[in-house]
Amino acid sequence: MNGRPKIGVYICHCGINIAHTVDVDEVVKFASTLPDVIVARDYRYMCSDPGQALIVEDINNMGLNRVVVASCSPRMHEPTFRKTLITAGLNPYFLEMANIREQCSWVHEDKIAGTEKAKRLVESAVVKVRRLEPLEVKEVDVEPSALIIGAGIAGIQAALDIADAGFKVYLVEKTPSVGGHMAQLDKTFPTLDCSACILTPKMVDVANHPNIELLTYSQVEDISGYVGNFEVKVRKKSRFVDVDKCTGCGACAEVCRQAGRIPNEFDEGLGMRGAIYIPFPQAVPAKYTIDKENCLFLSRGKCGESPKCQEACEAGAINFELQDEIVEFKVGTIIVATGFDIFDARKKPEYAYGVYDNVVNALEFERLVSASGPTGGNVVIPQRGKKKKKKEDEEELGPVIPKNITFIQCVGSRDKSVGNEYCSRVCCMYTAKQAHLVKDKIPDAEITIFYMDVRAFGKGYEEFYDRVRREGIRYIRGNPSEIFKRGDKLVVKAEDTLTATPLEHETDMVVLSVGLEPRSDRREIIDILKLSSSPDLFYLEAHPKLRPVDTATDGIFLAGCCQGPKDIPDAVGQAKGAASAAMILLASGKVKVEAQTSVVDEATCRGCGFCVEVCPYSAIELVEINRAGWPVMVARVNEALCKGCGACSAACLSGSIQQRSFRDTQILPQIEVLGVK
Amino acid sequence: MVDNAKLKDVAKEVISREDVRLLIGYRPGTYGFRARPAFVENSDQVDELIFSPACVSNLSSYLTLEEKTPLPRGVEPDLRKVAVMVKGCDSRALVQQLVEKAYDREHILVLGIPCRGVVDMAKVENRFPGVISGEIAMEGDNLVFSFDGKEETVPKEELLAEKCKRCRYPTPLISDLLLDDEVERFADDDYSDITAMEGKSTEEKWAFWEEQFSRCIRCYSCRNVCPMCYCEDCVLDRLKPVWARRSVDISENTVYHISRAYHLAGRCIQCGECERVCPVDIPLMLLNRKFYRDVEELYDYEPGIKVEEKPLLSTFSVDDKEDFIL
Amino acid sequence: MAEETREGFEPNIVAFLCNWCSYAGADLAGTSRIQYPSNVRVIRVMCTGRVNPLFVMNALQQGADGVLVSGCHPGDCHYMQGNYYARRRFTLMRNFLEYLGVDPARVRMSWVSASEGSKWKEVIEEVVEGVKAVGPMDQFKRRQLNW
Repeated sequence: MNGRPKIGVYICHCGINIAHTVDVDEVVKFASTLPDVIVARDYRYMCSDPGQALIVEDINNMGLNRVVVASCSPRMHEPTFRKTLITAGLNPYFLEMANIREQCSWVHEDKIAGTEKAKRLVESAVVKVRRLEPLEVKEVDVEPSALIIGAGIAGIQAALDIADAGFKVYLVEKTPSVGGHMAQLDKTFPTLDCSACILTPKMVDVANHPNIELLTYSQVEDISGYVGNFEVKVRKKSRFVDVDKCTGCGACAEVCRQAGRIPNEFDEGLGMRGAIYIPFPQAVPAKYTIDKENCLFLSRGKCGESPKCQEACEAGAINFELQDEIVEFKVGTIIVATGFDIFDARKKPEYAYGVYDNVVNALEFERLVSASGPTGGNVVIPQRGKKKKKKEDEEELGPVIPKNITFIQCVGSRDKSVGNEYCSRVCCMYTAKQAHLVKDKIPDAEITIFYMDVRAFGKGYEEFYDRVRREGIRYIRGNPSEIFKRGDKLVVKAEDTLTATPLEHETDMVVLSVGLEPRSDRREIIDILKLSSSPDLFYLEAHPKLRPVDTATDGIFLAGCCQGPKDIPDAVGQAKGAASAAMILLASGKVKVEAQTSVVDEATCRGCGFCVEVCPYSAIELVEINRAGWPVMVARVNEALCKGCGACSAACLSGSIQQRSFRDTQILPQIEVLGVK
Repeated sequence: MVDNAKLKDVAKEVISREDVRLLIGYRPGTYGFRARPAFVENSDQVDELIFSPACVSNLSSYLTLEEKTPLPRGVEPDLRKVAVMVKGCDSRALVQQLVEKAYDREHILVLGIPCRGVVDMAKVENRFPGVISGEIAMEGDNLVFSFDGKEETVPKEELLAEKCKRCRYPTPLISDLLLDDEVERFADDDYSDITAMEGKSTEEKWAFWEEQFSRCIRCYSCRNVCPMCYCEDCVLDRLKPVWARRSVDISENTVYHISRAYHLAGRCIQCGECERVCPVDIPLMLLNRKFYRDVEELYDYEPGIKVEEKPLLSTFSVDDKEDFIL
Repeated sequence: MAEETREGFEPNIVAFLCNWCSYAGADLAGTSRIQYPSNVRVIRVMCTGRVNPLFVMNALQQGADGVLVSGCHPGDCHYMQGNYYARRRFTLMRNFLEYLGVDPARVRMSWVSASEGSKWKEVIEEVVEGVKAVGPMDQFKRRQLNW
C-alpha cells in the first residue's frame, strides 16, 4: 500500500449533461463525508485541461494518493485520467471512475433518483479506490524475427514482406517444396495469367532472400513462450538426400525401381513418380527427396543388388543414414498460413466420385488442363490407377477426349449434409475459368455448368462470368441429385429450378467443383498454438471485422485460407496484412502487456489446476514449489500471456488467484455499498 | 463381505513394503458398535484392523487432512505412499482428489473394499440403545449384531445408511488391490428427495431451510470431514475479504451453507460424511444432492468417476442450456 | 425493521457487467438517451467469467433485492470463453437459490451486446418488474447490529 489512502473525488458537470439530472453539489457534499476522502470537488469539464490540472494540483498540494473521477464512462476517459495521474507522479492504477453520465444522468430524468444513484456509484468507486494497488505497465522485448508456418502463396508473400523490411524470417513448409496449392493451378481467374508464371519468381525469391531461412519438408513440433519471445522447435524431416550436394539433375529419379509406380501428390495422383522425386519441375528447393514409405531400400531394406539411385548420383548426395534434424530458434511473432484441403467428394456418394474415372474433382481437372500436368495439358479422361495393369490396352486405345463436359458447383460447400454451411468463395470463378479453358482446348466441346447461385463478387469477376457465358457455356440452375452411367455416357440427374423441369443430362465427363475445407491436420497447430476455431472449423480471428488477421493470442496472426476460404488476391492481401501486423511488433521492438493481470497467492494455492483449465490463454501453469520443506504444486501466471479476464479468479475455490484491480477484496466492498439502499 | 483375516494379511504385506509409510484403515471403536479410523505405521498394528458395516467414515479425507508440518532445514520429506482403505463411495473421493491434483497417483496405494452397504449408526443406536460394546456383520441381506453374548439379525434395509440405498458404485472405481469380489450395482438414485423439495412453493422451501440453517452452530464439522474441502485456507475463514461473518445468525449461516454447497458443485461425490457428522442434523446431503442432480441432468457429468475428467466448472459446452437468460 | 409495502417498493438491484459488451451496451443506452428505471447499480468487471456466483449470494445478503449478471452473447466473448463459464456457474447457482426458496426473479442473467442499448433498457425493465413483484429481499439479509 501507499500509506493510508488519501482520496480526491472529482465530480464532473459535463456542461449540463450531468448537472441537468444530477445534483452535483449534493454529490460533492456526500462524497466528502466518505472515509479517507480528503477532498471532493466539482468542475464543469473534468476532462478539459484545467479540469485535469485541478486534479494534478490537489495530488501535489494535498498529497492525494487515490483519485475518483465521477463523469462519463471509463470506456471514454479512463485513459485520459490515467495519464493525468501519471503527470502528477501517481501510479495510473490508483484511479477509479464512477459512470454518472452514460449510466446515470442520460438515462434517468428524475433528478432525485439520479442524484441518489450518482451518490451510490461514487461511493462504490471510493470504496474500491481505497483498496486499489499500484500496477506496473510492463514491456517485454520483441525478438526481431518471425516464424511463418506454411509456404503457400500467403506464407510466401508474408515472408517476403517481412524479410524485405529487414527482419529475419523462418519459413516452415511441411512438403518438400514451397508453392502450396497455387503451384498446382493452371491459369488464374479472371485475368487468365499463368499461375506458375506469377508464383515461381516469388518461390525463387524466398529461397534466395538473405533474411529468409527456408525450412522445407519440416514440421513445427513445439512452440512455447509468448508475444515477442516464442521458442520454436522444428523437425526437419530427413530427405535421405544431402541437399547441399544434390544438384537437382534428376538422374536418380530416372533409375529408381519405383519410377512411374507411385501416384504423384502434386498431380493429385493423376501422374506418377518414383520413390525419389521432386514434386514438380519448378519445385523450390530443387532438391530430391526419398519418400521412405515407398523406397524399397528404406521400407524393405533391400533394393535389388544395391539402390540404383545411389549409383546414378554423381554428386554422392544420397545418404540412407540421414536422420531427422531438430532445429530450435526464437521468434517474436508467428504467422499461421497453413492453407486448406479440398473437399473430399467421396463424402457425396451420389456423385460417384471414385467410382467412375470420368468424374474428377476440380483440382484434378486443374492438373489435366495444365501444360505441366500429366497429360501435357490435353483434356482427356484420366485412366486412374489402371496404368500399371492395362498398360498395353491403353496405348492401343489412346486417350479419350471428352466432347461433352459438365461441371457441378458447390460440391461440399453450402451443404449442411456434409457439415459445410459456408460458401467456398472460389468455386464459381474457377469453374468459369475451367470451362473457358476447355473451350480453348476443345472448341467443339459442349459445356454445361450446374450451379446454385453464381457469386462473382471480386474485381473483374462479373465481367469474366459474362464473357464465359457468351462463349456458349450453358449454366443450369440446379443442384444435381445423382450421377450414374448409361452405356458409355454419364447421366447427371437434376432439376432446372428456373423452369422447374426435371432433367437427365448425358455427358462424357463430370468435374466436381469441390469447396475448400479446413485442413485435416489443423489440430496439430491448434494444439501447439492453442488457437480457437470458428464453427466452420477454420482458425478463428480475434474479431471478424476489425482484427481479421489477429488471433486471440498476441503476436500470432493468420494469413490465407487457414482462416477461411479465399481467392489468391484475398490471400495475398491478408498475408500482407498479417505481415504488417507482425512488423508493428518487430519494428517497435517492445510490446506492452496487460497490467490488470491475475496473481497467485502461493501460500494458499492448493494446486488443483481449475484456473489452468479455465484460462483461455494458457497463461497459467502448475509449478512445484517448496512449502516448508514439502514439494507442492501451485499455479503461476505468466503475466505476458494473461489478458486480465479474471475467469481464473471466479474458478478458484480458495480465492488464491486474484485479478489485479478486480480482486474479491475490491469487489465485495462495492457490493456492500451498492446493496445498501 | 471382506474376510477380516485376509484383510489383515494384505495390510501386513502392504505396511511392510519399503515404499509405504502409513496405512489408513478401520478398527473397532471404543463405544457401542462403532468403528473408528486406524493409522497403521508398522506391521504390529495390523491386528486391530477390521472391516464391517460399522465402518462408515470416509478415510480418503485423511489424505488431504494430514498436516505437512514444516521440516527443519536439511530434512527430506517422507514422500512414501499412504495406503488407504476405501469403499465404493469413498473411492470416488480419491478419483475426484486426483482430478483436482490433490496429490500424485503414485503417492497413494488404494485398498479397495467392494461394499454392500454400511449402517446408519444413529438408527443402530436407536434400535439397540445402551450397548457398551458390540459388533456388526453382514450376512446376505441381513445385518447381524453381536453384543452382550447374544446375536440379533435385522434386515439390512432397516438400518442401512441412506446413501447406501441409492449407491451406484459399490465397487471402488480406483484401487491397487481389491480386497473382495466385485459387488454388482444393487441400487440406484431416483432423486425423489430432491424432486419432493423442488415441488414445494418458494415460501415452503425457505421456511424449511430457514429452520434448518437457524439451527446451525457453525462448528464447521461438515466442512472439516469433507474429503473435497481441503483448501489450505478456506475462504469462509478469511478476514480479507470477509465472505461470512463469525456471527451465528440466519444470514451468516445461510451464506455459509450456500458457499459450502456451491463449492462442492460438480465435486461432491455423495459420501454423506457431512450429514453424518452434523451435530444438529441439518440435511446437508439435500443441499449437495441438488447440485449433484442438476449437474448430472444439465451437463451429463458425475464427479469422481474418471481421473482424466476435467473439473466441471472449468469446462463448458457451447450448447449448454440457457433458457433463463434474457 | 419495518418492511416496505409492495406498492411503492423500489427494489435495489446490483448488476455485474462485462466491460466489452454489456457495459458498452449500457453506455450506448446512455448516448442514445434511452430512459430506464434507476434501480440498477452497476459494477464493472472485465468479463462475466470474473463474476463469482458467490457475489450473487453476497449481494443478496448485503441488501440487494435482485442481482443481474450481463455479458456478451455466446460466441462473442472478448476473452472467447468467459461467458460460457459464467453461464454454467450461474445456471447452477440460480437453480440452487431457487431450491432454497429465493425467488428466481431475483437472480437474472442476460446477454447484451455493445450495440444493444435498447435491449439493455428492456432487460432492466424486466428485471425491475420481476423483483418488484416478489418484494423486498429479507430472507437472509445481513442484520446490522446496533451495539
